[in-house]
Amino acid sequence: MTDNQAAPQLEVRGLRKTYDDGRIEALRGVDLAIEAGEYIAISGASGSGKSTLLHLLGGLDVPTSGQVLFNGKPLDHIGLDEYRARQLGFIFQAFHLIPTLKAIENVQVPMLATGVDASTRAKRAETLLVEMGLEHRLNQYPNELSAGERQRVAIARALANNPSVLLADEPTGNLDSVNSAHMLVLLTGIQKARGMTLIIVTHENDIANAAPRHIRIRDGRIES
Amino acid sequence: MASQLTFTGFAWKNLWRRRLRTLLTLCGISMAIGAYVALVGFSESFEDSWMRLYTSSGTDIAVVEKNFLNTSVNQSLTGKLRAVPVVEQAAPMIFNLMDLTPEVNAIVFGWLDDTYEFNSLTFDSGGKFHNDKPEVILGNLLAKNLNKKVGDTLDMQGSTYTVVGIYHGGTALEAGAVIMPLDQMQILTSTQGKISGFHVRLRPAPAGESADHYLKRAQAQIEAALPGLNAQLASDRASNNQFVDLAHAVAWGTSAIALAMGILGIANTMAMSVFERTREIGILRAIGWKSGRVMLLIEAEAAVLGFAGGVLGIGVGWGSLHLLSLMPKTNAFVSTSLSPTHLLQSMVIAVLSGLVAGAYPAWRGSHLSPVEALRHD
Repeated sequence: MTDNQAAPQLEVRGLRKTYDDGRIEALRGVDLAIEAGEYIAISGASGSGKSTLLHLLGGLDVPTSGQVLFNGKPLDHIGLDEYRARQLGFIFQAFHLIPTLKAIENVQVPMLATGVDASTRAKRAETLLVEMGLEHRLNQYPNELSAGERQRVAIARALANNPSVLLADEPTGNLDSVNSAHMLVLLTGIQKARGMTLIIVTHENDIANAAPRHIRIRDGRIES
Repeated sequence: MASQLTFTGFAWKNLWRRRLRTLLTLCGISMAIGAYVALVGFSESFEDSWMRLYTSSGTDIAVVEKNFLNTSVNQSLTGKLRAVPVVEQAAPMIFNLMDLTPEVNAIVFGWLDDTYEFNSLTFDSGGKFHNDKPEVILGNLLAKNLNKKVGDTLDMQGSTYTVVGIYHGGTALEAGAVIMPLDQMQILTSTQGKISGFHVRLRPAPAGESADHYLKRAQAQIEAALPGLNAQLASDRASNNQFVDLAHAVAWGTSAIALAMGILGIANTMAMSVFERTREIGILRAIGWKSGRVMLLIEAEAAVLGFAGGVLGIGVGWGSLHLLSLMPKTNAFVSTSLSPTHLLQSMVIAVLSGLVAGAYPAWRGSHLSPVEALRHD
């Protein structure tokens, strides 16, 4: 067994992130290990550093000090773009769909980055949208979809390159309670069916407490 | 069938979201390319017309002073020139640009009535003039502009001439010209005994001597026989005369200004587009698009603008030339024919303009921090 096989899928060591020339400390030395296939909720008050942690885990930002490792390798050795394109799926609170593209086209956008051929892109996007129950909404533009439908398109987009980790930043923040509940069922179903790692950042205790592992962040440090 | 998203399709959709702005930008770049197509096309066809003026008459060499517009060569040198062994024919000539009416300009040539250059003219009506007589022949385009036919009179700078022939011109330059007896032109321009230069037709090259070598030898012989004068190849004379140089300079200068404005228009559009789509660029980066791919997308959008502007610009340019060719003041100098090379150049310049204009916005967009871009309102 090699070191990499023994390593957690995601690991952060002594992670610090400061802003404004060090005057603002968003993360103050975070250590965390996440195994493949885990479902984790990260919660905390606004400004606690939970989104910063998610951004660093997702390779969207670089730490001031400390390391993020994927399968034992530092992210900067893997290449952040390659890591985000092939290993991660992002789901955002505000959906962040591209307004000029139809639902099925939005799902194809990540695949433009990974060299998937055009017909495979279209077929895979259709399959994912059907899986999300949106077979009748393939050719609708985001402004023609409900909030719940938009979030399902965003999930399909996050799954487009078959990632091993799904990162969701307040995925239910723009949804009503019924849609929120459906969304959680959908996400956990996907996580189980695909054996993916699911990391949800949320400020809602109900959602956080439903996760098998719940990490609380306060003032840039892991509380529990 | 599921809708397929392609990279260029994505670029096009980004442009099409702000249709009015895209169309206005297209108008700007197409006007710039139109100016390039029309002006440079005009100057190139002008040069081509000069070339055909020489080649159609069989002129191999023009003997002139350095200043193209000077009428200061002594006509008395004709005998010396004709005595040069390689010279078969030497035709003294004057040319000048005159306002025939407030609306009509024309190039006016003064020829001897026995010049070999008549051989290339085809008369639609009438025939050639005679030395010492106040007669002129007109190109068919000029005759049409002036509404003249054989037997009518033409007033030029206070003198009256009878139109004795209407000839068919192979180019707009020929078809829009006046040709008159050399002596009459000298009287008209107060340059008795002086000419602009000689047009020379050489004897056939001896067997075994290459054309290039023969032409160089002929130039050397003529310049040795007529010290102080230049013997220039007709092709060099066509491309290096002051009319053509001026046309090229004005065309390129004006086109460069128009293109600079077009480039600024695209740059402004692309910069605004990148600013407005900051968050979207953040999304693309978040889902794994490399900065180079983001740059390529923005450059592709700029190149599409340039390409579409080029296609429209060619239409605008051709339309402008067509309009100019219908106006009496300009139709003697304007041809609507555009060479494939010129059209290809126009498209290359249009796309390059787009790429140059998109370079900074593309660089800026591709270097946005994903996190900062996602936070952008």
